[in-house]
Amino acid sequence: MLSRLEAKKPSLCYSEPLTTEKVRATLSVLKGILTSCYGPSGRLKQLHNGMGGAVCTTSQSAVLLRNLSVTHPILKILTTSVQNHVSCFSDCGLFTAILCCNLIENVQKTDLTVTTTIKLNTHLLNFCTNYLRSEVCGCRIPVDFSNTPILLCLVRSILTSKPACMLTRKEIDHISVLILRAFLLTIPENTEDPIILGKSIIVPLKGQRVTDSTVLPGVLIEVSEVQLMKILLVRKSSPLKVVLFSTSLSGDFSDPGEGNVVVSDGVFLENAVLDQLINLGRQLVSDRVELVLCQKVIHPSLKQFLTTHQVIAIDRVGVMLMEPLSKVTGAQPIGSLGSISPGSYGSVKDWCSAKFGCKHFFHLIPNEATVSSLLLCNRSDTAWDELKLTCQTALHVLQLIIKEPWVLLGGGCTETHLAAYIRHKTYEEPGSILQDDGCTQAELQLIAEAFCSALESLAGSLEHDGGEILIDMKYGHFWSIQGRVAILLTNQGLSKASYQHPTRNCKNCKSEFGSRSSLLGT
Amino acid sequence: MAVAGSVKMALQVAEVLEAIVSRCVGPEGRQVLCTKPTGEVLLSRDGGRVLEALHLDHPIARIIVACVSSHLRKTGDGAKTFIIFLCHLLRGLLAITEKEKDSLTLENIQTFERRWKNCCQWKCISQALVTFQTQILDYIIDEYLSRHFLSIFSSSAKERTLCRSSLELLLEAYFCGRVGRNNRKLISQLMCDYFFKCMTSESGMEVFELVDNCFVELNVSVTGLPVSDSRIIDGLVLHRDFSVYCPADGDIRVAIVREIIQPVFSTYRSEFVLNSETQFQTSQIWIMERTKSIMKHLLSQNVKLLLSSVKQPDLVIYYARLSGISVVDCLSSEEISLIQRIIGLSPFVLSQASLQCEISDTASVKFCKPFILRSKTYVHLGLISTCTFIPHCIILCGPVQGLVEQHENALYGAFKMLQQLFKDFDLNYIKKANNQNDTLSPPIYKNSGKNNQLPKSYTHSIQRPYQDTDIKNNDELEETQYLKVHSNLVVSNVELETYIPCSPPKMIPTDAVQTDETWRCLPLENNRVIDDYELLIESNSASNSITENTRIEISYENFQVIDIAEKRSMLPVKYKSVDTYKSQSFCSSSIPAGCVLPVGGSFEILLHYYLLNYAKKCQQLDEIIVSKLIANALLGIPKILYKPKKGNHSFPQIYLRALHTLQTNQPMVSSWAGLESVIGKYYLLTSVLQCLTKILTIDLVINIKRQPQKNSDQDSEDELQH
Repeated sequence: MLSRLEAKKPSLCYSEPLTTEKVRATLSVLKGILTSCYGPSGRLKQLHNGMGGAVCTTSQSAVLLRNLSVTHPILKILTTSVQNHVSCFSDCGLFTAILCCNLIENVQKTDLTVTTTIKLNTHLLNFCTNYLRSEVCGCRIPVDFSNTPILLCLVRSILTSKPACMLTRKEIDHISVLILRAFLLTIPENTEDPIILGKSIIVPLKGQRVTDSTVLPGVLIEVSEVQLMKILLVRKSSPLKVVLFSTSLSGDFSDPGEGNVVVSDGVFLENAVLDQLINLGRQLVSDRVELVLCQKVIHPSLKQFLTTHQVIAIDRVGVMLMEPLSKVTGAQPIGSLGSISPGSYGSVKDWCSAKFGCKHFFHLIPNEATVSSLLLCNRSDTAWDELKLTCQTALHVLQLIIKEPWVLLGGGCTETHLAAYIRHKTYEEPGSILQDDGCTQAELQLIAEAFCSALESLAGSLEHDGGEILIDMKYGHFWSIQGRVAILLTNQGLSKASYQHPTRNCKNCKSEFGSRSSLLGT
Repeated sequence: MAVAGSVKMALQVAEVLEAIVSRCVGPEGRQVLCTKPTGEVLLSRDGGRVLEALHLDHPIARIIVACVSSHLRKTGDGAKTFIIFLCHLLRGLLAITEKEKDSLTLENIQTFERRWKNCCQWKCISQALVTFQTQILDYIIDEYLSRHFLSIFSSSAKERTLCRSSLELLLEAYFCGRVGRNNRKLISQLMCDYFFKCMTSESGMEVFELVDNCFVELNVSVTGLPVSDSRIIDGLVLHRDFSVYCPADGDIRVAIVREIIQPVFSTYRSEFVLNSETQFQTSQIWIMERTKSIMKHLLSQNVKLLLSSVKQPDLVIYYARLSGISVVDCLSSEEISLIQRIIGLSPFVLSQASLQCEISDTASVKFCKPFILRSKTYVHLGLISTCTFIPHCIILCGPVQGLVEQHENALYGAFKMLQQLFKDFDLNYIKKANNQNDTLSPPIYKNSGKNNQLPKSYTHSIQRPYQDTDIKNNDELEETQYLKVHSNLVVSNVELETYIPCSPPKMIPTDAVQTDETWRCLPLENNRVIDDYELLIESNSASNSITENTRIEISYENFQVIDIAEKRSMLPVKYKSVDTYKSQSFCSSSIPAGCVLPVGGSFEILLHYYLLNYAKKCQQLDEIIVSKLIANALLGIPKILYKPKKGNHSFPQIYLRALHTLQTNQPMVSSWAGLESVIGKYYLLTSVLQCLTKILTIDLVINIKRQPQKNSDQDSEDELQH
């Protein structure tokens, strides 16, 4: 930590930090890194620390920005705001960051005063969000939950835009179906208000084929093979009565208070505690409990006692699984060694053992619950990490869709369409954007041009393979013609088989403006 | 190493600070970004924050920043203006001394002596500054400036009510200098809403105190969401999640606990002796049973929510869940004390002796539910307030923590500013008869002691022959006008009574006009009566148009002196002095709560104008120098504010127009929509003058090797031995 120490120095002041050449250079380096990652054909980045250790391959903004050490304070604000955005909405980090860099670059070329720039950008932003939310918006599509192709398309577009997952086309199809199924399982069947969504637990399984991934209703608890053998000896019945302990059953004597506890000679507290545990076990047996789950450790004697009485005991479940287990079984976590009230017991429909790859699982099958386990396989560690993050993103985006059931066209179409619409409006009806506060039409046109070209160059950065980019100037449709093989994706822009979620667009526009204008204010 | 303290050096230091803060001044001001070697980033337009973030080497710079900080702690506003004003004062001082130095160098005195002489001179000036601050400033504010004051209260005859539009103007102007351009409107609207939502009609200063003390607890900051998602929500949001949440409705009662509910084997400084295994088992069972019974008892009291300042063990959580009681534990002591203040509930104490604990103190809450913000869960309580504060929380959103913090600080500062604004401020000064034309007639005292409501009421009128004889209006019109003006002003019957005997002399053809000075002693239980300044100004302008003589209303001005009972004993003395020395009188007046002026340098230009006027009439040299110095330094602030404006709105134009309107006594027109607090400006002025005197009285800066020691004898002896 000594290297972190720095001698006290008087403060140094710089004025107009954004206009210096150094900042521009660093900004364009950052932009270069981010742009090259953007989109389905984006390039991957390998992160390592030069001292050995794990190497991470990624193209996602969340991973990239977390690991990049940005030194310049202005870039730091930019990257932190993008990271905060991602932690709120999961998706569109690169979109936000690149647009932000583009805007800063373009706005600096205009030579307008900072206050005018901020004012006009705020107007343009409000104009955009209003347009994207309005009914007349030409680039958004309503989502109907009975229509799975759109949902599937949305998930697939999220997966394809993360090339570091290393998935083939077939694997992408497989995973997107799994994600959608996992999401649908979290929606409760009885639709009472308010809807409380369930949970999808992602279970890691590395080194397997991606197509081995699967979704199972209920909870998977990883157990050792030996343990599973013992469990398998137990008679099965259905449904099972379950008890869930959050307190330790190891017989440790915790919390003696702030004073001293003096134990006289010849008194063995271990025996006393063990007696207590066995008494508890007796009660469980007499209450016909068939499955004991404990967050912490169960004393071997108690475990032995329970097994001889045909009760399955699984300990060291961990705090992460407690809530889903309580949800699946309906049992209340017990924090006492005393008598257990009958209301705390829960039940499951059935259990079975399962083996995936080299791992053994104890699978609890619920009667009807919103908890499911998504068993995710991928070939390597780093690809698995990337895939896990992508799945979480997709699940989160699907949840956001429930709140605002709209998607936007993907593949750069939304951006170019929006740019075309703003251009049209600034020339035809500047009054609709410009409000009273003393900005001229010429200023508006300058800023609108900067704004629109930032959007268009964002769309253009989807193309990495030296292909040509075509934009229809009238409707703002966007094509990229890849290399020699011209794949024309036309048909009103709808056939472009990828969608974006609208809230991500609207909201991240806002947040990038927040950070942007604060940048311009400095 | 010792360096002579000089104004030149102080000015250099202050100019460096000025260069930093002047960038953030005014609506066109920009942000300052501070970074630390650790990588933290601070984004701010708040002068105080920026100054405190600087790592300063120079001792004078540190003195200045310390003065700014202590000023801010009191008022929450004016750090940037502080530095600019100080800088201009120092510049002015230097200009004066440069002039004198030219004459000194001719005399060829030795340098040391000259320096000594300089020091004496500084001392004189600093003394003059102190006299100015304590005596002249109050006089000028009361005598001249007060007639321009507006009020944010729209008051009818009986009670004052806060005018929302005025408050909005005030806050908008405040946030102009504090937050970024694009968020200004939103934040000031948020503050205004919060203010009105939290206040009841009878809320007073204690609400300000509560918000001031517990501002952190009343805020939730969220990063990653756009600033426009910031909002106010009803009730209190605790920065914790439920340990147990059991949905409940109907009558939800809440209890507060500060200790672990589960009994433990041994308490602090005691010993528990275990003699047998059965004893251990029975005591464990007893602990369980007792926890269970406490929970049952809580439930029987209809307690559905338990707030705890300590972490409760698993056992308690388990039994709480069984009983359907929600538990929030690990609350900070600040949060607990805030809740206690709002609902007036004290924590219950568990008695060790009896199993049946007494829980007398419970309070109702409207609701208690989890509140999810950006995937983090908080506890949302609908407390039923027993004090005048209605609990509401501000949720502040922003893309980065720095921006959220900036808004939070701005809101906090705004609360401090309002807190000062809502207090009356007493002005005390000696009024000198420096007007040479005044021939003071023996004062007439009228004691309307027969009035029971007021213990003492004096009327003191000094008759002054009126200089201008060019009043060409008929007396009748003037009389009606006069009565109309005063009938607006009159607050109680007593005042009417005192005025009526005075008014006839004014109407006599000699045009003698008198100044009425009324001292009133109000008993404490009487609420302070506030003049309606808005009405005064309105009626003045009305009378202008009719009488065409603008000096009338100046002399008609009445001073209302409201003294609280503690000062009553002082009053006779004061009158005696008036009696014996007819040329001067002790006055005490007040800046009433809620006094504001239009933003954009009005205060500075007005004070500048009246100070120059005062200097013209004044005879003492040092008073003239100091008044002129301050008057000119005051202009520095509007100069910076109007810098970006061009043409007709440039500073010289504005200044000339303002002077013209003042000379012709027309009402001032400001090109800015917005208001600022008078009392804040007053405090600022006094703080700057105090800071300046502090700087001027230093003659040597000595660099020592360690921190200045507190007075302790052993230490100094040790040092001597080495």
